[in-house]
Amino acid sequence: MIGPTPWTPYISNAGMRILRNTYEGPGSHGILRTVAGIKGVHSVLRALPSEGYFQAAFGAGERDGEPAAVTISPLMETPDGSLSPGDLERDLTRAAMNHPETETVMLVHSETSLLANEEAPSPTLPPHPETGQETKLVTCEQATAGIGELEAADLALEALVRAHATLMERSPEPTVNVFGPPLLNPGAAAEYAETVRLLTLIGVEVNACVPLGANVRDLSQLSQAWANVLLYREVGDSATLYLQDTFGTPRVTTPMIGAAGTGSVLRTIGGLCELDTNKIQRAIWSELGQTSKLPWFSRLIAPESLRGKRAAIFGDLTYTLGLGYALAREVGLEVACAGTYLEHLEQDFLFHTNSFTDQAFVTGNPEEAAARLEEANPDVLIGTRVEREVADTLGIPFLPLCAPAGPKAFVERPLMGYVGSSVLADLLEEALNRGQEKPKTSSREIPWTDEAMEGLEETPAFLRGRTRRLAEEYAKETYAGEITRDVLERSRL
Amino acid sequence: MTILNESGVPDVLSPLYAVNALAEMLPDAMVVVVGTRLETYLSRTLPADLFSNAKVQDSPKVLSVILDPEAPPEQGELASQLVEAAAGIRGVEFLLVVAGHSAELLGVNAEFEAHLASRRLSLQTKVVSPDANSPGCLCTDLEDRVLAALVEACPQYTPKPASSDSAAFKRGGFLGGLSLRGRSRADEAREDPVVLLGPSFGAGDELAGDLKRAGIEVAGRVPGTGSVDLPQIGEGTIVALSDPHLATVARAAEKRGAKVVRTLMPLGMDGTSRFIQDISAALGQDSEEPARSQEMWQRLERLRSRIRGKRVFFAGDTGFEVSLARFLANAGAVVLEVGAPRLDRKALGPEIQALGADVDIVESPDWRGQMKRIDESRPDLVITSPGLYVPLVARGHLCRSSLDILKSGVHGYEGARRILELFAQTFDRADALDSVHL
Repeated sequence: MIGPTPWTPYISNAGMRILRNTYEGPGSHGILRTVAGIKGVHSVLRALPSEGYFQAAFGAGERDGEPAAVTISPLMETPDGSLSPGDLERDLTRAAMNHPETETVMLVHSETSLLANEEAPSPTLPPHPETGQETKLVTCEQATAGIGELEAADLALEALVRAHATLMERSPEPTVNVFGPPLLNPGAAAEYAETVRLLTLIGVEVNACVPLGANVRDLSQLSQAWANVLLYREVGDSATLYLQDTFGTPRVTTPMIGAAGTGSVLRTIGGLCELDTNKIQRAIWSELGQTSKLPWFSRLIAPESLRGKRAAIFGDLTYTLGLGYALAREVGLEVACAGTYLEHLEQDFLFHTNSFTDQAFVTGNPEEAAARLEEANPDVLIGTRVEREVADTLGIPFLPLCAPAGPKAFVERPLMGYVGSSVLADLLEEALNRGQEKPKTSSREIPWTDEAMEGLEETPAFLRGRTRRLAEEYAKETYAGEITRDVLERSRL
Repeated sequence: MTILNESGVPDVLSPLYAVNALAEMLPDAMVVVVGTRLETYLSRTLPADLFSNAKVQDSPKVLSVILDPEAPPEQGELASQLVEAAAGIRGVEFLLVVAGHSAELLGVNAEFEAHLASRRLSLQTKVVSPDANSPGCLCTDLEDRVLAALVEACPQYTPKPASSDSAAFKRGGFLGGLSLRGRSRADEAREDPVVLLGPSFGAGDELAGDLKRAGIEVAGRVPGTGSVDLPQIGEGTIVALSDPHLATVARAAEKRGAKVVRTLMPLGMDGTSRFIQDISAALGQDSEEPARSQEMWQRLERLRSRIRGKRVFFAGDTGFEVSLARFLANAGAVVLEVGAPRLDRKALGPEIQALGADVDIVESPDWRGQMKRIDESRPDLVITSPGLYVPLVARGHLCRSSLDILKSGVHGYEGARRILELFAQTFDRADALDSVHL
């Protein structure tokens, strides 16, 4: 039997990439996602008239009714003397004037606008009509046309924090800032809620939740906090580093996923907030007894039912690492491979995954990710919505737990904290049971003829994975015993 | 009739949204989107976000080339990528390269690269830009440009010198003779071929059927079943458009010498009837369409009664709103406002006239202003743009997305029935939900 050739990485020409799809949107999208979650900040997107989309994406993803505080300043030629939008300086001023809730205006450039390299005006914005306070204008200077969604989001949040944070007296009672995921991340609001619940439990108050749910005043008072809890490093890294450098606020960076991860975060916070260690431990034990069911699940499940079971994870940084630790250590599943699409965090990712899997990889190309995941041949796949196709091909249970994951669920469930660990236990139990009921009907066992293999070799590398999957699926559907040249040809588009 | 230009930023989808539908519309074509991550996001990720369950939103025949601003491509590099991309998909006859400002700003000469790729692959290529430099972009703009390119690629039509009689004779046969006798009036008229241009939204065959029943044979369509399967267009062809915003297509056809029939869109009973009548007139035929459509109209009374008196607001994003509003007004609805991101007065002239004096059209509407007006006038139904759908539903308005309406297939008499049915269902469902004691 001849199996498909192992994946050979597709080397693109200098910088140029040909893809079927991407995981990350453009930098401008990441900035808007981050800023739209902060009250009092109005974004002005400088973009071509054909590049306006944020309201639609926001509505479809968030589904909660309020339009986002985002206005477009169309990059186009308007006749002299026209008062229609298009004059950036006037559009910035209008954003401040027409929206009384605006305290800060964030100027965001679309990719095309960045490439056009127009000189950005820096008008003095009219003061707030009621408070008389100065309206700030913030731009993310470091964003370039080439960077991805989350890197830009990280830089933009830093720019906002830089523009607002002032030196303040540390709060008398211990408080922390929570730096979590932005809008449109799966379960984002629930992650904050669970974190706030746990902090309250150990007697720590929340100074600010950033970016989701923060307001401009929160941003200016960040230095009051005793520590910054970094739930989502992808977006809060630079901002918390800035706060550490400028105000000396320490950071807690362990992913708060799984019971072990959560306990570790709580103990670290306790240390930084000078809390009684015994009190923290009692709170943790009480939670382990009542809320956190992942350790309980691990003890209940028969060891045989996990023997030889392998999971694969593909996603961003925080969730992939956190889930990887939890599955490997707390549940005892073998992590067959772990991957991320965040190419700018490659070193960080490979360093951490080292502790729970031998097979770590970084790629922004869904085709390559699919090939790697298939090669690992796991029994359970955790990924973004793009990986569903791979799970279907392999005939294995699929958990879409990583962003991008589609529209927001009406009942949001956390994956972080102790409640999150129980949610994970439920999901895993269901997935493992599902996998047991149905024997794995992988289409990959269908043999390929030499001729068909040659045909596959002829397809360009970046399409090979998909072509192979289509052929195997087609063979399965048509009950073809082997994949011949003919099957391959007919399965293709 | 008031036409107000609000000079706002309308809530519209990017023309790149249409890329997937275009790829499906042109069966032997492959679409390559060239640009930054933004173009890929707009053409691939966003449509999937907006319609998570629609397969057609994620066409496998669309590929993205993401350029690296730090290392812009050398001359010829893009062409090599295009060649490799096209080689991976079987049966590609036509390569459509979508490249806009960003590619241009990165120094890519898309025309040159496509030409190079076209020579190496020996297949047709065409470059279109999704971008507009002027206000009022519509999600159908890309279709307009692509279809115009197809019209340019159509073979030239040369009228046959032989009389229509001899042509019919050649077809001969007993049945042929019969049908000839039955249509003797039409025979006296010219037999200019009629070509339909425009995306059909799934109902194109129905429109051709409506025309056929009126004695008008459709000689061809663009898009047809494939880009190799293009109809002849030239002097003597009669061209009818199925979408009001196909200005570039209309110009391309006129340049070929074809006669473009300026009439109502074949949307709604009134629109389809006028459409058929005006084509008949262009062919020099008499038409019995008014009587026929009147009869069909009677049969739809049950549905019309559900619409009558309802107050409807059109936010406007697809460009079809003026026609839809005209039909609904004709069916007895009260149209409060029609938003039009762009108002092509030449193409929409007949529509604007037919809409009547009581309706306000707001050109280039500002979406925040629209929301305010909707809150004030509390319409029974709002036909919304994509960004306003969720906020307006949250404010308690009954909404339908304009794209949902288009997707159901709106052309022709059958399309008119579907539109009414869709609205009737919408009201029925709202009534049912309102009657639940919560």
